[in-house]
Amino acid sequence: MKMIRAFIRPEKEQEVVLALEGAGFPSLTKMPVFGRGKQKGLQVGPVHYDELPKTLIMTVVATEDVGKVIGIIEGKAKTGFIGDGKIFVSPVDAVYTVRTGEAVL
Amino acid sequence: MKEITAIIRRDKLPETKNALDELGYPAMTIQSVDGRGKQKGAMCAEMDSEMPESFCTTVKLKPTPSTYALEHTLPKVALYVPKRMLTLIVPDDVVSKLVKSIIKVNQSGKRGDGKIFVSPIEGALRVRTGEMDGEAIS
Repeated sequence: MKMIRAFIRPEKEQEVVLALEGAGFPSLTKMPVFGRGKQKGLQVGPVHYDELPKTLIMTVVATEDVGKVIGIIEGKAKTGFIGDGKIFVSPVDAVYTVRTGEAVL
Repeated sequence: MKEITAIIRRDKLPETKNALDELGYPAMTIQSVDGRGKQKGAMCAEMDSEMPESFCTTVKLKPTPSTYALEHTLPKVALYVPKRMLTLIVPDDVVSKLVKSIIKVNQSGKRGDGKIFVSPIEGALRVRTGEMDGEAIS
């Protein structure tokens, strides 16, 4: 299993989530975060925004579905401008469902 | 070292903290998150039987503003349930003990009890002393 953490534009969150739901991946956790990238924030005239708001979407999927999920997130979150976000994939050893206590996703 | 990420009900947080305290692993990061599971966030009575149906739709769920949905021609809004997320970094040998303890405290048998993820952690550093890896989390 793999954990996918996607940092996306807050306004794209609903589209991404509904697209994932349509493809059979309804489960996720989201949280608001602030960050910056290579461009060190955003310069609008004389005003410099150092940390920009993003939405972090965290989901754990089977290893064989990783490519599919990344493709969906990329397809919906992409605008072609800087600040579209990043996707990170990390390994997960075990998953437990608290209600049943079973070690299944 | 392993990272235990537990997503649990908000009202179970104090009990979970006490249980982890007793086992000797009080260190954790707590975050307030919104999430959804297989039920797509749209469930009230099953999630919390004591919550009246009319109450939970207004308080427990956070739908997207309808203005946004209309502007973006979304087929519907995505619903979320507020949760607490705990992150603990612990040695390998106590992972199963802590997972069992978290499950025991949080298990109510209803949907929405949460999930626990265990993932590997490569390294750790205690900023104050500069201790590395195992010593940093002991």
